[in-house]
Amino acid sequence: MDLSQYKQAWKNQPEETYKVSAAEIYKMTQKRSTSFVKWIFIIGILEFVILNSLYLFVDMDEANKQYEEAGIKGFVFYMELFAYAVAIYFLIRFYLNYKNISSGESTKKLMSDILKTRKTVKHYVLFNLFLMFIVICVVGTTVMKQQSTKIPEDKVVILMIVTVVIGLIVLTLVWLFYQLLYGILLRKLNRNYKELTKLDKLN
Amino acid sequence: MQPELENKFLSDFEANQNIVHKVCRIYTTNQDAHNDLFQEIAIQLWKNYSKFRGDAKFSTWMYRVALNTAISLYRKSTRTVRTQDISDIAFKIESKEYDDTEELQLKALYVAIRTLNDIDKALIFLYLEDKPYKEIAETLGISEVNARVKMNRAKDKLRKILNP
Repeated sequence: MDLSQYKQAWKNQPEETYKVSAAEIYKMTQKRSTSFVKWIFIIGILEFVILNSLYLFVDMDEANKQYEEAGIKGFVFYMELFAYAVAIYFLIRFYLNYKNISSGESTKKLMSDILKTRKTVKHYVLFNLFLMFIVICVVGTTVMKQQSTKIPEDKVVILMIVTVVIGLIVLTLVWLFYQLLYGILLRKLNRNYKELTKLDKLN
Repeated sequence: MQPELENKFLSDFEANQNIVHKVCRIYTTNQDAHNDLFQEIAIQLWKNYSKFRGDAKFSTWMYRVALNTAISLYRKSTRTVRTQDISDIAFKIESKEYDDTEELQLKALYVAIRTLNDIDKALIFLYLEDKPYKEIAETLGISEVNARVKMNRAKDKLRKILNP
């Protein structure tokens, strides 16, 4: 059977029996949206909050004392300052990207805008993991150098390497776990975006 | 929003609501989900109405927002159903004085479309609604050439499902 016959049946299909009245439509428009974009925004904000409140779980007085002893208090201070500046930059970009999302755009533009908004947070998380890695390396090696009188010199180098490797492994695992969550959250969107843009490269 | 704009929106929506119902029927498989998606599309249309410029037809803009909501914004994944699930077709249509063959064809068509992926659903829907390729390409944000190629593939898929 030809598709045109089905098309005819489609054209002749009766209208929905249950008509929604203007009053009902108005009521609907006043309800809260449950859209995916809203979740993207809420989850994104949560990630910023969580990453920026991690230090609440650390005894900062104790940590500061140790940094001072190791002579890296200045380094840690500027690192923190830098981290906050970057966080603000990412937050602004995240918000602007989010604001840019509009369901009146073409499907492709809408999808790419949503993905762009999510990517901002992804880059921020990646940046934080990188920063954590640097801090682990610097703090770890300085503390070890300080303690080197107690530890035989040949073992100090090995310990430093072990610290770096363990730091790298832990952060990679955190990143992979995050990527998995990110993948699950965006699975449908990524699949549809890929499907829509599949032939773009050919034309 | 000004009251007269608000009223214009509501009456335009009311008059064109069948477009939204059809999108809901394609992308959902039960009445609850249908109503849920209908409401979300209403919210999105309302939110975007201030950005809607009169240079496009209200219905054209409605197609776009409705499809976008179904494809990218609707929180529940649009589960596809198998062709056998013909009995739980959830759309209420008046069947009096309505040609039996066409009714069966229509049901089969809905079941078949529901097995397609989200993008193919949109393409086939726009084809059935007699939209020109230019409008289809603009709605989806792809080139006209691309839209034609994709449409042919989607139609092939649909034909195979309808005539196995």
